[in-house]
Amino acid sequence: MEILQVRNLSKVYGEGESRVKALRDISFSMEKGEFAAVVGESGSGKSTLLHCIGGLDTPTQGKVFLEGEDLFALDEKRRTVFRRRNIGFIFQAFHLIDELDVEQNIAFPLLLDHQKPDRERIDELIALLGLGERRKHLPGQLSGGQQQRVAIGRALVMQPMLILADEPTGNLDSKSSRDVMDLLIRAARHFKQTVLMITHNDNLAADADRVFRVTDGCLKDMGGKTHEKLS
Amino acid sequence: MKNYLDLIPVSQKIHRKQSRMARLCIGLSVFLITAIFGMADMEIRSQNAQAKINYGEWHAGLGGVSDEEAELIGRRPKTLACTRYDTLNYRLSMHYQVAGKEAIIIGFDEEALDIFPAAHLEEGRFPQEEGGVIVDRNMQKALSLNLGDGIVLSVPDGTERIYHITGFFGQMPMLAKKDVFGLAMRTEEFRKLPLEGAEGNHDSFVYVKFSPWCNIQREIRELQELFRIPDERVSRNELLLATIGQSKDVSMLAIYGVALLLAFLVAVAGVLMITGSLNSNIVQRTEFFGMLRCLGASKGQVARFVRREALYWCRTAVPAGTGLGMAVVWALSAVLRFLSPAYFGGMPYFGISFIGLAAGSVIGVATVSFAAGSPARKAAGVSPLTAVSGNASGRTRMKKAANTRMYRIETALGIHHALGSRKNFVLMSCSFAFSIILFLAFSVAVDFMEHAVKPLKPYAPDISVISPDNSCSIDRALAEGLMGVDGVKRVYGRSFAYDLQINTEGGARQAYLVSYEACQFGWAKDSLIEGSLAEVMEGDGILAVYHGEDSLRAGQEAVMVLDRDRSVGMGSGEEERQITVSGVLSDCPFHSAGGEEILICSEETFEALAGGKDYTVIDIQLERDAGDGTVEGIRSLCGEEMIFSDSRLSNAEVKGAMYSFRIFVYGFLGVIALICAFHIMNSIAMSVSARMSQYGAMRAVGMDGGQMVKMVAAEAAAYGVWGMLFGCLAGVPLHYVCFDKMITYRWGTGWYFPAVSLCVIGAVVACSLVFAVYGPVKRIRELSVVDAVSGR
Repeated sequence: MEILQVRNLSKVYGEGESRVKALRDISFSMEKGEFAAVVGESGSGKSTLLHCIGGLDTPTQGKVFLEGEDLFALDEKRRTVFRRRNIGFIFQAFHLIDELDVEQNIAFPLLLDHQKPDRERIDELIALLGLGERRKHLPGQLSGGQQQRVAIGRALVMQPMLILADEPTGNLDSKSSRDVMDLLIRAARHFKQTVLMITHNDNLAADADRVFRVTDGCLKDMGGKTHEKLS
Repeated sequence: MKNYLDLIPVSQKIHRKQSRMARLCIGLSVFLITAIFGMADMEIRSQNAQAKINYGEWHAGLGGVSDEEAELIGRRPKTLACTRYDTLNYRLSMHYQVAGKEAIIIGFDEEALDIFPAAHLEEGRFPQEEGGVIVDRNMQKALSLNLGDGIVLSVPDGTERIYHITGFFGQMPMLAKKDVFGLAMRTEEFRKLPLEGAEGNHDSFVYVKFSPWCNIQREIRELQELFRIPDERVSRNELLLATIGQSKDVSMLAIYGVALLLAFLVAVAGVLMITGSLNSNIVQRTEFFGMLRCLGASKGQVARFVRREALYWCRTAVPAGTGLGMAVVWALSAVLRFLSPAYFGGMPYFGISFIGLAAGSVIGVATVSFAAGSPARKAAGVSPLTAVSGNASGRTRMKKAANTRMYRIETALGIHHALGSRKNFVLMSCSFAFSIILFLAFSVAVDFMEHAVKPLKPYAPDISVISPDNSCSIDRALAEGLMGVDGVKRVYGRSFAYDLQINTEGGARQAYLVSYEACQFGWAKDSLIEGSLAEVMEGDGILAVYHGEDSLRAGQEAVMVLDRDRSVGMGSGEEERQITVSGVLSDCPFHSAGGEEILICSEETFEALAGGKDYTVIDIQLERDAGDGTVEGIRSLCGEEMIFSDSRLSNAEVKGAMYSFRIFVYGFLGVIALICAFHIMNSIAMSVSARMSQYGAMRAVGMDGGQMVKMVAAEAAAYGVWGMLFGCLAGVPLHYVCFDKMITYRWGTGWYFPAVSLCVIGAVVACSLVFAVYGPVKRIRELSVVDAVSGR
C-alpha cells in the first residue's frame, strides 16, 4: 500500500546570482512499512527533501501526498495538526523539551492533541526503548543515546504513518548509534510504520529496505538490500 | 582588527537582535532615571520660582532688630541681601487713603527689591531722597500718574502728606484682591508716619537672604545668639528653604526622607532591569563564548569581552536614554509654561537638568559595569567543550518537570518557563514588582498634591463686583451689560437676604438666603447629596447646606419668618412663608460665620420670598486671553461706588501651584507606568528569544499557533501575577509609610488602601502583558521551523 508519494518536488533558494536549486524535480513513493535511507554529500539537499516531505518547509514546485492527502493543499493550522498526527520526526540534536520528563516528552504529541495518554501504550513504548528506569528523568539527566531513544518514542507515540529521521545517530557514538538504529528498525517493523532516514553512515544505510542517493538536488533510487555497494 | 576586543562591533552586528534588546533595556532604564530625576529637579525649580514670587526670596525674617543690628547682619559675609520691612494699614483698619481709597504703606530698604521679586520695580528708581515713593501699577492706572507726579496721602490723624513718585512696581495679588493702593517708601520716610491705630509698632522686621551655599540654619542660630532674638521672633521661608535642601522643618524632613527613598527605588528599578537584560543576553550566547574559549581565549579575556561589550552598548543606549529623558522633561516644562506663563514663563525652553543627566548617565554606566560582572563570570566559566559538543543551547538546566496533570501542555510549559529557573523567576518577578512598588510609592504624591494644593473651584471668579453695604443694590441689567464686554466669559450674580429666621420642628434657626442662576446650579450638581436640584431650579423649594447632624434634610418643611424692616424687600413687619427643603448640598462657596443655615434658591423664589430683584454680588470669569483692557471695561461699567475685587493674580497663584504639581506628579506616574509597560514587553520578548529554537522544535512536532499563544501568555501571566503579588506585598506597606510621613504627619488624614492605584497599575500590567505576548508570538509564527531545528 502506497503511503508516501512525492511528485516533481523542486526547491529553489535565493534569486539572481545567489539562486540555488536545492531540489530538482524529485519524484518517488514509499510503501507502508518500508524503511528507506537517504544518503548524499553535505549540502546535496537531503535535509531539504526531508523538511519538504514533513511539511516543515514549502517546496517551490511539486506535491507531497501522504496516504492520498496533498500536504500543501492544507492551510498552516490544518497542516500542523496533520503533521502532529501522521508524521513523526527524529532530529540529530534530539530537540527534546527540557521542562518535560521522559514520559511527558514521549507523550508530548498526544498532549498537544489534547488526548489523554494511554498508560499501557506509553509503558509499552518505554519498555521497548529501554527507558524504564529513566521515565521520570529530565532530558538534562540523560545521555545522548538515551535522549535519542526518547525522541524516537516521541516520534512513535501517535503511531504516525511516516517517520522522518534526520541523521538520528549523528550526535552519538558507534554503540549508541547501533542501538538507536536497531530500535528504529524494530519499532518500525513492530508498528508497521514507514521510515525515511537521512544518514551519512553507509553501514547504517545498508540496513534499509531501499536507499536513495541525493546529488546536487537530484534523487536517485539505489534499490534495496540486494545492492552490495551503495556508491 | 588589532585586538580581540575589536570583535565586539562585529559580534554586535551578527547578534543584532539581542544587542538591540539589551540596548533598549539599558536605554529604558537610563530614560527612567533621567526622566524621574530630571522632573524632580524641574519641579523643585518650579517650586523655588513659585516660592520666590509668592513669599519672596528671603530665607529668614527676624523681629525686634535695631537699625545697627540690621546693618551688621547685612555686612556678614554669608548675607546676600538684608532689608528692614514694615507695613501700615495692612488690615485696612487705619484708613491711610489716597484719593479716597485705602492704601497699604510699606517701608523698606532698596535691597527689598531683590528679595521680593513680586514687588520688582517696573519703571523709575527706588526713592533715595525725602518725600519719594514708589506706587503700584493699579494706582498708576487709576489715577493716571507719571514719574515725578505728586500724590496726597491722607493719614489717620487727619493731616495730609505729599509725596512725589520715583517709580512704579508691578501688580501684587493681595493689593488687587483687596482693591487697594500700595505705596512703598524708604524706612526712614516710613517712620515719619503716625502710628495711631497701628496694628504693630515701628520695631523693624528684617528679612535676610543668605548665600544658598552656606548652612542657613546655622547662620540663623548664630544671628539669634548674637542679637538675642527669641525663637518666636524668627520666621523662616520654609518652602524656599525646602527647595534648596536647607529646611529643618520636621514635615519637610519627612518629605526629604520619602524623596530619598523614592530616588533609591528608581535607581534599584534601573539596576534590576539592566541586570535582567544582561543576564538573559549572555545566557543566549553561551555557545559563542564557548567557541571563543575553544579558539584560545582565556577566562579573563572572555570576562573582559563581556564587560567591554556591555559598556559598548552604553555608548548608544546612555545618550539615547538621557536624551529621551530630557525630551520628556522639556515637554512637561513646555506644558507648564503654556498653562501658567505668569509663573513659569521664566523657565527655560530647553533647560538642562544636570541632576537628571548625571543620575541617568552615572547610574546607567555604573549599573551596566556592575551588572556585567555576573554574566561575565558566567561566560568565562563556559567550557570549550560545550561549544563543540552542541550542548550549549543556553537553556537552563531544569530540576523539576512541568505539571501536565493540572494544566494543559501549553499552559504547563508556559508556567514552567516562568517558574522553572528560580533565579530568573525572582529577577523577572522582582523587576515587575518594582515597577508596581514604584507606582504605588509615587501615587502618594497625588494625595500629597490634593492636600497641599487646593484646586481652583469652577465657580471661582476672576473679578467680583460687590455691593458696598451687602444689599441687593446691583442692578440685574448690569450683569447683562457685563456679558457684552470683550474678554468676559461668564457672568453670574447672587442676591443675599440676611438675618432670616426659620422655624422647623426642632426649633427656630437663623439663616440667610442666596439666589442662584443656571451656572451656579450647574456647579452645585456635584455637591448634591440629597433631593433634587431640578425642583429648586424650577422654583419648587430651596436647597440647604449640610453642616452636621443638625442640618436640614431633604423633604423637611419649615416656616421662614421674613422681617421686612431688615430684609431687602419692601414693606414692613413680619411675614411667614412655608418653605420646603428640596435638596441638600455637601458644600457651597460661602460659609456662615455665626452658624446660620445657608439656604439657596432660584432667582424667582428669592424674589418671591425676599422681595429683592437685584444682585448683591456679580462674579465674572474672563477668557484666557483677556487683559487689563477687559478689566478696565468692567470697572468703567460698574462705576466707582461698587467694591471691585480682582482675583486674577491670586487665581494664577493657585493655578500655577496646581499645574506644576499635577504635571510633575502625573508625569512621574506616567513615566513609571510607561517604563513598567516597556519593561514587561521587553522582558517577555527576551525570554521568548532565548527559547526560539525550542519553540521551533515544538512547532516541528505539532504545536499549532494557538497553542504557542497560550504558552507565551501563560508564561507572561505567571510573571505578571507573581509580580503583582510581590509588588502588592511590598508596595502597600511602602505606600503606608510614605502616606504616613507625607500626609498623616502633616494633615492628620488617615491612610487608606490604595485600591485605585492598584487597579490602574494592574490595568497597565495587564495591557502590557497582552502587548508583550503579541510581539513574540508574531515572531514565533514567522519563525522558520527549518532554521530553528537546524540550529541556524
